Amino acid sequence: MRSGLHKVIGVDLLTDLTYMLRLERNDMSFVPGQCFNLGIPDTAVNREYSSYSGIYDDELQFLIRQVEGGQVSPKFRSLRAGDMVEVDGAYGMFVIDQDLVKTRKFYFIATGTGIAPFHCFAKSFRDLDYQLIHGTRYANECYHRQDYEQGRYINCATTENSGDFHGRVTDYLKINPPPIDAMFYLCGNRNMINDAYDLLRSRGISSSQIITEVFF
Amino acid sequence: MKVAISYPPIVNDRGQKAMVSQNRNVQFFKTPTYLLPVVHGQAATWLKNLGFEVIWDDGNAQLKSYDQWYQNLVAMTPDVVVFESTTPVMNFYWRTTAALKKDLPGTIFIMTGYHSMRRPEETLEEAPFDIVLRSNHVDFVLSKLIPVIAANADWRQSCDIEGLVIRDANGKFRSTGHFRQVEPLERSPIIDRDLVQWRNYAYENGNYLQTPGTYATSVVRDCMFGKCTFCRYNGPDLTFSMLPVEKSLDEYERLINDYGVKEIFDDSGVWYRGKEAREFAEGIIKRGLHKKGCYFGFNTRFEYLDKDTIELLAKANFRFVLIGLEAADEETLVKLNKGYQLQHVERSLKWMSDAGLHPHLTIMVGYYWQTREQLRQTVDFVKSLMFRGLARTMQVTLCTPLDFTPYHQECISKDVLLTKNYDDFDMSKLIVKTPIPHSEYYDAVKELYGIAFHPRFLLRQAQYLLTFRRRDWQFLFTYGIRAIRRVRNHIFNLTSADAGPKQATLHPPTGNSLT
Repeated sequence: MRSGLHKVIGVDLLTDLTYMLRLERNDMSFVPGQCFNLGIPDTAVNREYSSYSGIYDDELQFLIRQVEGGQVSPKFRSLRAGDMVEVDGAYGMFVIDQDLVKTRKFYFIATGTGIAPFHCFAKSFRDLDYQLIHGTRYANECYHRQDYEQGRYINCATTENSGDFHGRVTDYLKINPPPIDAMFYLCGNRNMINDAYDLLRSRGISSSQIITEVFF
Repeated sequence: MKVAISYPPIVNDRGQKAMVSQNRNVQFFKTPTYLLPVVHGQAATWLKNLGFEVIWDDGNAQLKSYDQWYQNLVAMTPDVVVFESTTPVMNFYWRTTAALKKDLPGTIFIMTGYHSMRRPEETLEEAPFDIVLRSNHVDFVLSKLIPVIAANADWRQSCDIEGLVIRDANGKFRSTGHFRQVEPLERSPIIDRDLVQWRNYAYENGNYLQTPGTYATSVVRDCMFGKCTFCRYNGPDLTFSMLPVEKSLDEYERLINDYGVKEIFDDSGVWYRGKEAREFAEGIIKRGLHKKGCYFGFNTRFEYLDKDTIELLAKANFRFVLIGLEAADEETLVKLNKGYQLQHVERSLKWMSDAGLHPHLTIMVGYYWQTREQLRQTVDFVKSLMFRGLARTMQVTLCTPLDFTPYHQECISKDVLLTKNYDDFDMSKLIVKTPIPHSEYYDAVKELYGIAFHPRFLLRQAQYLLTFRRRDWQFLFTYGIRAIRRVRNHIFNLTSADAGPKQATLHPPTGNSLT
């Protein structure tokens, strides 16, 4: 764990409210799934964000949704190349047991920017057998779907019929029941986590196979 | 079915009672603080709402002796007894339960809490418990478990509620898997204040500037940061759950209007921040609760609250802000995963003190790596903050590994633990190898508490009181007297620790039943 100033490479706007903050990595090491505390220098306020980039990437990337009326996320959005960001980390245990990577199927279930740790997993573990189910409102929130291998990413869009599936992630799971012996990682808003958890348990999946992290 | 949620009085041979303190750590004090066990209070309320007969049996807060508590519990013949574990009182609970099981052979004993949830088999091996909860969501689990027990004679075999380790009919241990990490907190009831006899907890609590005070139903369980290595709210098994702002506001309104509460403290590991914090403060103002003479307080972290939010909180009549300043050297903060930088501490505190909040620092000393220089940095920095009025009050504790937190595991793996006896983990003395003599850490604690009597600090406090919007001189007498008593308690404990490794004996003594 370490802290320091990292130079901004850029801010890529992905939708009206979501953007990707890109920072120089400065040899910062982390375990896929971990998060960092990010702060604007001299503001004395920071926030946690999971790494969106993989462990082999040259830069640190963070997928951020601007909070309406928020004090921090709008400031990150207005950063320009060359600005600095305070980075502390890495923290957290929403990580994958390395021993399971080659032996188990993984189901990653996310809403919104809760996809960040799963993007990191996909970029970090080359042998990972996974299925990513991503719930969004609109199909244009399929951030960087080209980064996932063909067939591994499924978008569930709730307010329009242009995604891979029209409806909630739980609706998708009801129609497409996952294998009972997979490992399940849930990340995103707590309502989705609660509903998906109940659904998986009702299908006979053990609670020991379900790992959750709330994004808010 | 009759369910007792029980907290036995635990008294050591110095006549001190175990008090549950920050993060539900246990310390022994002559004059204890009585903290409402919030999640267990919600569990009791939920079970009562489900139609079960619930006995709220806090022998400490109800000022019972151990014998009184024991005899009363046996006389009530509960069907289920629920205890809460933490490392320094595990031996006590194991002995007590062994004795109780003889007197209440038909009663089901359930252990909850952060020690046993991480070593459930240990507790089942050491004492005749029937079930150990691996979940921190005690209310959610008990609300499902007790009806299953009531309705199914073969529950030991058939119960499949997640997050339990059950002693089966053959005496073997059966795990029902990992517990559910995220729960919808709004489904757990707001605490029934009459059931938990809230007035027993309304006065003796250092976190109250005014009394009667009470703890709110926590808005975050357990901590939305959850990464600090020494804290029990950290582990691969834990994430956090959050209560909607409106539901918490409803409770505050009821506590003020129906119970006449003068101080409400939310003991969530870390309270709301950002948008939710502002919504909460705005809700307090919109409902007019900021004009009812009630103060509000919470725990937070450095770098969580910005200046605008702090000013809004002050406007909403927030006062007591408990904030961890674990050390004043970057190396220690990094090792502890604190996630804030020392350079921002003063500014955060200045925002708070300028806005009229009452920052209360919680400091720790005695990390197994802490050098003389690091210790001195911490002492000097804290003194400087206190003398300049950037923090109003503080408490210092000896960092004690417990409940198998990452720091505890680290101490085990690095072989720096000086004892394996859980009774020694009561924060009354250092139990890790350190680079300098333990007496130097104890002296540092005494030096820090000595700030309370320093003329510069007293002058600052007097100036602070004169700035109160409401000239609350009650504060000077009630809070001041309680604060001095707490300082004396701490210094007494450290004087005892200095005198040698005298082992406190917890009652009941080993192997004896007191019936």
